[in-house]
Amino acid sequence: MSRTITAVGAYVPQARLPAEDVSEAWGRFDGAGIRSTAVPGADEDTLTMAGEAARRALEASSIEAADLEAVTFATTTPPLEEAELAVRLGAFLGTGDSTRHETAGASTNAGVAALADALEGDSGPHLVVASDAPRGEPDSDQAHAAGAGAAAFVLESSGGARCLSRADAGLDYPGTRFREAGSSTVDSLGITPYEREAFTETIGRAVDGLGESFDPSSADAVAVQAPNGKLPYRASGVLGVDTDVMTDHAVVHDLGDLGAASVPLSLASALAAGEKTVLGVGYGSGSVSTILALEAGESDEAGAVSGEVDFESDETISYAESLRLRGEITGGEPAGGGAYVSVPSWQRSTPQRYRLEAGECPSCGALNFLPQGACRRCHELVEYEPVQLERQGTIETVSVISQGGAPPEFAELQARAGDYATAIVAFDGPGEDDEHASAPLLIVDAEPDSVSVGDRVEATVRRIYTQEGVTRYGIKARPLE
Amino acid sequence: MRDAYVIGAGGSQYGAFPTESYRSMFRTAFESTTASVDNGIDAGDIDEAFIGMISIGGRQLGLSGPAVTEHVGLHGVPTTRLENACAASGYAVRQAVQAVRSGMADVVLAGGVEMMTDLSSDTTRYWFGVSGETEWERMAGTTFSGVYAQIASAHMAEYGTEREQLSKIAVKSHANGALNPDAHLGFECSLEQAEGAGVVADPLTLYHCCPTSDGAAAVLVASEDVVEQYTDTPVRIAGVGAASDGVGLFQRDSYTSLPATKQAAETAYEMAGVGPEDVDFAEVHDCFSIAEILAYEDLGFCEPGEGGQLIEDGVTTLEGDLPVNTSGGLKSKGHPIGATGAGQVYEAFKQLRGDAGDRQVEGAQVGLTHNVGGSGGAAVVHVLEGPEVDA
Repeated sequence: MSRTITAVGAYVPQARLPAEDVSEAWGRFDGAGIRSTAVPGADEDTLTMAGEAARRALEASSIEAADLEAVTFATTTPPLEEAELAVRLGAFLGTGDSTRHETAGASTNAGVAALADALEGDSGPHLVVASDAPRGEPDSDQAHAAGAGAAAFVLESSGGARCLSRADAGLDYPGTRFREAGSSTVDSLGITPYEREAFTETIGRAVDGLGESFDPSSADAVAVQAPNGKLPYRASGVLGVDTDVMTDHAVVHDLGDLGAASVPLSLASALAAGEKTVLGVGYGSGSVSTILALEAGESDEAGAVSGEVDFESDETISYAESLRLRGEITGGEPAGGGAYVSVPSWQRSTPQRYRLEAGECPSCGALNFLPQGACRRCHELVEYEPVQLERQGTIETVSVISQGGAPPEFAELQARAGDYATAIVAFDGPGEDDEHASAPLLIVDAEPDSVSVGDRVEATVRRIYTQEGVTRYGIKARPLE
Repeated sequence: MRDAYVIGAGGSQYGAFPTESYRSMFRTAFESTTASVDNGIDAGDIDEAFIGMISIGGRQLGLSGPAVTEHVGLHGVPTTRLENACAASGYAVRQAVQAVRSGMADVVLAGGVEMMTDLSSDTTRYWFGVSGETEWERMAGTTFSGVYAQIASAHMAEYGTEREQLSKIAVKSHANGALNPDAHLGFECSLEQAEGAGVVADPLTLYHCCPTSDGAAAVLVASEDVVEQYTDTPVRIAGVGAASDGVGLFQRDSYTSLPATKQAAETAYEMAGVGPEDVDFAEVHDCFSIAEILAYEDLGFCEPGEGGQLIEDGVTTLEGDLPVNTSGGLKSKGHPIGATGAGQVYEAFKQLRGDAGDRQVEGAQVGLTHNVGGSGGAAVVHVLEGPEVDA
């Protein structure tokens, strides 16, 4: 027995940095073959991107988060170096208490390897999410190429795409891309011929491992690890495939280096587009390679993979804006005090902050957000019936906060992303009646001045702020088209 | 129940005073208050004290009441520190009335003090909005300017209120404040200045927001049994009303009205046996210009949604039928949080005794004060009658 991929989801931050803007700033652009890169918002990280991709995949599937047996979060850039963040990802989604949560990392091969491992498992539903946002020193190849994105896969016992073959290889190549302990930026020695050799030799060894089980040249689409827009094509020889099957679903040219999400996002794109035979070629410095051959069924049979993958965006930013968004040139949170929200009190509110859990008053039927204390309408002290609010809502009132009007906890966000809109959003209840409940939320992914009363929005989990090293995550609202 | 009277009221200047402490500011207010009692008063006559203070900046968070009353020589006098955000000393006055009416005390000091300008701008902003729904409103990136901006935005969407009407409130308040030597921002401003000022929280510009101030104010409340010892021209506290509401705006049914103000006003009017039409002038809580428009509507000076028109028609200017915030209000006089409510009663005391100088409302008989905590989580209203009415 094994699992199959029944649904996919993807998420890429909205902002795009054109390569020519980097050229203008530096007099050169060192992300070979890259036209633009995706830049994470000031309140995004690999966990929030993973949450959004995972939610989209789950919504495309028939699986509820609570039914998942396992969640795997693959990234080379977790927001914390120690602490099991897959549990927080699970909490964003509402996984069960006995769900297994694990993080895979160490190299950019982690996403493909985690997917391959999960496909081999044979029990309940498994969610695999690869999310990455590598960074480099501003004047490095890695920084020029750095992108951001996430892909998620829902795996079940049958239906969708199955694994035809898998092969792995590992060859010791010190000095290829690495990130030192305590550092947030990746580095490499830049010995180009040596790095190319590590790449092609390791992948070649994995291809050998496929043996007769799968012929790469039979694949309709091939996704190869892409630290830049040129290196993947150097593997076409050892793979024995034409470069044109590698370009259709390549994401590196428009989004940049997506690290552990590079091959997964291309795979998700190919599967969502209905490609039948798809080959994923993972590579991680060190060096390791995992190759995964997938076969989707015909779209009118049980073999279709659900989900949409769309990362078009026309929001471009300047190089200076990208430095602000990434926090390269901002000063961090000012010192102060007052209005402190303790971590335990924040943790108790996570069902509301992650999943919009409200309560229905058993006495008068009013929806209460927050579901605690006396009812806001009848003022009776009741025990609420849990109610899940819809994730979509309507802006009831809004303000745009300028520099002087923000709490200092938000000074760093404002320094990075500029003035922000903040609103009270009415979320619909599950019933037929007009009952709704309201929450005060920051607005993201919108020109602040364009946000108006009556606009429709959806909830998305972002970073609120970080104090004492602990990031408080919670819902914000994003305009619907 | 016994009637309660204001026999004296005073205050410090409001502004930025780097050489003063919260204790010295309170002393200034205390001395000005005792000096205003026509026949004089000894510290030993004061039975009880209620002091409003948020302790912005974290100074003297505990026991700030005794810290100031002992400093001014009210030795041993039972003192309670009152915290209801910006309504702290409005509630202190109400507590004084309760103490007098209950018979437990004959003379009670109600006052407040705040020092806000000796902090770095970051620290000051950490202390802004600490009276909002911290875990939700604050974590949505708002302090009170943001919350009141949301109220303004909702009021504009529902009633068509215009930003220029908010600016006219600011122009009116500054015109009054320019006549008040104690005002923090005692200068006139033009409509163009108010409209063109930098945006703090859209749609509110800097001129739609009150300043942060240092200052202190106090009021002496006496029972009908002893009032004649102190003055022949006391101001009767004819009506008192107070009410609470949910702390977070998002938890209320309406974003365009403060139900706590309505309820407090209803109680105060009923107790005084008057209605809004009987009020000759009012000191209302205009922490942001939109709050004054809400006050017009919630206090019954006009119908809901017509607050913008009321300022448009000039009704609430010093020359109008119902002057509002003759002192300059929070906008121009200033807003030292703990002192504000008592300071409003101080202005009403002067108006009702004909002592308001250039900003005197001719023939003022009935005055109203309105003090709000947060975005409406607490409100307190007093209806005061001048000596002639009572005589």
